Amino acid sequence: MNSIALGQYYPSGSVMHRLDPRMKIILAIVYMVVSFLCNNVFSFVLLFLSAIALVLISRIPLKTVLRSIRAIMFIMIFTAVLNIFWTKGSPEELLISWGIIQIYSSGIYNAAFIAIRIFCMIIGTSIFLTYTTTPIQLTDALEQLLSPLKVLHIPVHEFAMMMTIALRFIPTIVEETEKIMSAQKARGADFTSGSLSKRAKALIPVLIPLFISAFRRAGELATAMTCRCYRGGKGRTKLNVLRFTYRDLIGVLMMAAFISGIVLLNIFAPGYSM
Amino acid sequence: MSKIKVENVSFVYSAGTPFEVKALDDVTIEIKENTITGIIGHTGSGKSTLVQMFNGLVKPMSGRILLDGEDIWEKPKSIGSVRYRVGLVMQYPEYQLFEDTVIEDISFGPKNMGLDPDEIKKRVLEACELVGLDFDMLSKSPFDLSGGQKRRAAIAGVMAMRPEVLVLDEPAAGLDPAGRNSIFDGIKRYADATGAAVIIVSHSMDDMAKYCDELVVLSHSKVAMFGNRKEVFSRSRELEAIGLGVPQITRLVMLLRDKGIEISPDIYTVDEAETALAALFGGGV
Repeated sequence: MNSIALGQYYPSGSVMHRLDPRMKIILAIVYMVVSFLCNNVFSFVLLFLSAIALVLISRIPLKTVLRSIRAIMFIMIFTAVLNIFWTKGSPEELLISWGIIQIYSSGIYNAAFIAIRIFCMIIGTSIFLTYTTTPIQLTDALEQLLSPLKVLHIPVHEFAMMMTIALRFIPTIVEETEKIMSAQKARGADFTSGSLSKRAKALIPVLIPLFISAFRRAGELATAMTCRCYRGGKGRTKLNVLRFTYRDLIGVLMMAAFISGIVLLNIFAPGYSM
Repeated sequence: MSKIKVENVSFVYSAGTPFEVKALDDVTIEIKENTITGIIGHTGSGKSTLVQMFNGLVKPMSGRILLDGEDIWEKPKSIGSVRYRVGLVMQYPEYQLFEDTVIEDISFGPKNMGLDPDEIKKRVLEACELVGLDFDMLSKSPFDLSGGQKRRAAIAGVMAMRPEVLVLDEPAAGLDPAGRNSIFDGIKRYADATGAAVIIVSHSMDDMAKYCDELVVLSHSKVAMFGNRKEVFSRSRELEAIGLGVPQITRLVMLLRDKGIEISPDIYTVDEAETALAALFGGGV
């Protein structure tokens, strides 16, 4: 049932897992921005090293991390190849000229830079957010980060609650789908062979019971919430109050050191810059 | 004669991840023709995984499932035909109804088998009779039926395929006593009418005692006991240690024996107790 890679939370119990999720969201955004600041070989090397450091700190097995990279491998290679062919540098940088195809050394640099940038962005966001933070923590943190929008009468709590409920029911519905599919398979339904339209039709016996039970569940949940006096976000307190601790402070300091490193390298390091 | 043989079957969920759970551990059992076999065990003892192996929905990680002496996974492509021969009714089967009318829903299985319409009709009516579903229900929407009726319609949908082996996972879960009896009576009628091997999963000792000839007790993914009703229930101490116990009436009989009343210890249903007590103390029933 865990074959569907949704919510890839990996419980290794590292320091990263115990950071405040609000801060992790901010750090993930900052990390992405920083990856766009990098402009030369040295700062990109530092960026790459930082991604490796993130993996090591969070103690996620390399195999698991690489699996999430595999999904975007195509985009990485595609953009890198485009950069090799489409970058026009100065004439002394020309390496190969073959008909209309001209490859400049700056093109190769750019290709490598962009590949590293995409790689680090994916590693960064997945380490900060998906691998070390549970979906519930994420929505909780998001609710608090967006709470200033309440001034504009945006129902932040209600959106967060909807998101929490949706996330909560993904595994349930996946399980339900598998059950119904098994039951219909037991009655001879075939989901894997035949033309596309035949296969789409074969899903009707799965989708109808699935929708019916989803509506039934929604109704039951609404009743259960009403019974427990749920009445929206106004005046609601939390069971698990998020706290900013010394650990989070260390996280912020490390990120600040990393940013200054990148900026310094951008300014002072020699060689080609983007 | 043995219909299904389960040989040294093991299964692990989410193998190789931190969420690894062992579901079955070296399970070996034998299911006979013309027999109702009960599988008992606690939640999480591996019952549901085992039943899904009989018809090839779950493939064992090691070991073999033999149907009439042939390994069902020898030709994985033809696993579909195994599913017609071994009918599986999953837990809460009423949540799988989907057609516009009850008759169409019950016909879903036979239709997938490629039978001609007359044969399908015949089988559907036969299945309805077995489970005790009135014919005037057939043109209704399955969603307009009561809970018990839905359950019976869903079971009829599998019976209409006339499987040689009928497997039911908690067929009476969540029903009232009358509903339970009507479901189990329907299953018994199917077994008697077709001579099929029937496998029932449950954790109700009383139902098992009433309807099953053979019993398999699963505990912590392993077979704790396997044998006929008498053999299994005679080991009441071990059953209690597993946390399952014996049927209530058997407990009562044991208490009577402790008080010095000479009643046979092999009594598993109220009817049997009634006959034995009448014989002991005289007087009609």
